[in-house]
Amino acid sequence: MKYVGWLLIFFVFAFIMISIHIGIARSGRVISQLQNEVAIKEARNQYEELEISRLSSPQEVTQFAEQNLGMVEVKPHQVIVLEGTK
Amino acid sequence: MIRRTPFSAPGVFNVKKRMSWVLGVMFLAPALITGKLFYLQLFRHEEYSSKAERAIYNYLAEDRVRGGIYDVNGRSLAESVRTHSCGIVKRYVKDKDATFTFLAETLNIPKKQIADKWNQSKNFFFVAKRIKPDVYMQLAQVRRQDLGQGMELTPEYERIHPFGQSALDILGAANSKNVGLSGIEQMYNDPMTQDVSKKRAKRSGRGEIIYDRSLKEKINVANVYLTIDSTAQFYAERALNNAVEKLKPQRAIALVQNPNTGHILAAASYPVKDGQSLAFQFTYEPGSTFKSIAVATAIDSGTLPPNASVYMEGRNWEVTKGFVIHDKQHQKDYLTLAEILQLSSNIGAGKVALEIGAKTLFSYFKAFGFGGKTDVNFNGESKGSIPPYNTWTKVDLVTKGYGYGVSVTPIQLITAYSAIANGGILMQPHLVDRIVYTNGKVEKLSKPVKIRRVISAQTSQTMRELLQTVVEVGSGKRAQIKGYNVAGKTGTAEKLSQEGGYGKRSHVVSFVGMVPATKPEFVILVILDNPEVYAFGSTGAAPVFKEIAEPLLAMQGVAPDQTDFE
Repeated sequence: MKYVGWLLIFFVFAFIMISIHIGIARSGRVISQLQNEVAIKEARNQYEELEISRLSSPQEVTQFAEQNLGMVEVKPHQVIVLEGTK
Repeated sequence: MIRRTPFSAPGVFNVKKRMSWVLGVMFLAPALITGKLFYLQLFRHEEYSSKAERAIYNYLAEDRVRGGIYDVNGRSLAESVRTHSCGIVKRYVKDKDATFTFLAETLNIPKKQIADKWNQSKNFFFVAKRIKPDVYMQLAQVRRQDLGQGMELTPEYERIHPFGQSALDILGAANSKNVGLSGIEQMYNDPMTQDVSKKRAKRSGRGEIIYDRSLKEKINVANVYLTIDSTAQFYAERALNNAVEKLKPQRAIALVQNPNTGHILAAASYPVKDGQSLAFQFTYEPGSTFKSIAVATAIDSGTLPPNASVYMEGRNWEVTKGFVIHDKQHQKDYLTLAEILQLSSNIGAGKVALEIGAKTLFSYFKAFGFGGKTDVNFNGESKGSIPPYNTWTKVDLVTKGYGYGVSVTPIQLITAYSAIANGGILMQPHLVDRIVYTNGKVEKLSKPVKIRRVISAQTSQTMRELLQTVVEVGSGKRAQIKGYNVAGKTGTAEKLSQEGGYGKRSHVVSFVGMVPATKPEFVILVILDNPEVYAFGSTGAAPVFKEIAEPLLAMQGVAPDQTDFE
């Protein structure tokens, strides 16, 4: 009976340890997947930001304004600079 | 008779004393060794342990991060984006056909192309490079499945330039491993890059790499901010491209500088080559744009007053026997200094140089920064050439007055004109504004630095007025801008031909000007080298100056300095 008690304690301890180990392994995998997703989303975000940069480049803006909106470039003497706006 | 020392003499045969000496020596050696070990362990531990570690281990980096390059306002000009390359290790592939089909569909490439590479390679081949994140995610998901066996996904980088080719000659190139190869990318490679995900590794007896533990490190890379303003750069490139289309020059350069700070706002070159900016590397004989330097020297050194007149020798001046200079563009017997610049008279500028003398002219050339690097901090900057004055003949002295027999770089010429524009001070030109590290540290590199006073404020004022008349009534009329006073000088220089002498059909046309002339905000230099369609500085380069200056003035909100325009 004495040994059975010790065995029981051992199995309970082993069960707890294995459960913890499996839990950690699972969490590790989830963390790794999430980290991977974060990295990919960050990379995708960087692409989007670069696309915004490209679209806001002086060349793109000028082209769009002239071709799609029919705007023309202002001559410098037509610009009125208000005090305190510079 | 032999005298013997008694056996029991004290101090010699004392066993106890001997034993204590022997014991002392026996303890001293280990004590010294122990002491040394303590010393090494306590004080030299790091040095020796790192030596030992270096002897056994290597540190291998899995990845290298790189900072970006930005314009002065923080607009991205070059940035690294993480991509992946996909390779196949043949011997680990389990289902060849299924893997080919999957890769072809995912990477959108023909299956046959993959099969061909498979057949041509021994064990490893790349299927695709620069794979974008979305596609990488699809590939990464099958890595642990049979389909993904043998597939290797290696991180690499794509250097993206959101503004396309803009300023590429200054930026230079960086490769897929984030290593700078040319231009600013190469010059600032060290602070801009950092090896990350380092792992301690050692090599086994068979030569395999055995990874040990990862090292934790903080990322701290530099982002380089240029003085270039991407909008000004766009205007300069657009105007230059229009001129290239119209006049078809071999090379073309447009440079914009703030004369008060020395900051380069735009530097456009044609043709565009990674990291090879003609603005800093091109050398040429400046021709008539150099006449302003001779006239400024004459006034500043007190050789001639600003209202001096120069005799024109009947417009055919025989400097020495066999060397005659002609002025065909006017019929006047005398020209004032203003008229010499307006009509771009070679006789006038030559006579001015002769009046000044070789030694004084040479010292002013040097003071203006010619014949030496400007230290703008760009790889491969040329220094041009101004031969020592004691080697000049009379003809050399005369021709240098109108810009022949010297070679200059665009950055030297624009910096010299900036000195004329800003009141007479030669400013250090700057191309890099600041370096900002990811840990927040900022290194400012573009604080305005006055190198020296070259001419007096009065001479500077007089020169601006003289150069203003060049644009108002002289050869620079096409540079006029409504509402603004413009000061500038045209240049049309014949180029040395390969056969010797100057070729009539091979020339460099240029214009350098400042606006508004009363208080210049911009100095702009335009150079068109050997245009296929024949042009002069006045017809070819001056309009390009105007095309750049107009939108710049509007963008910066520079108030007109003319009051009577409509």
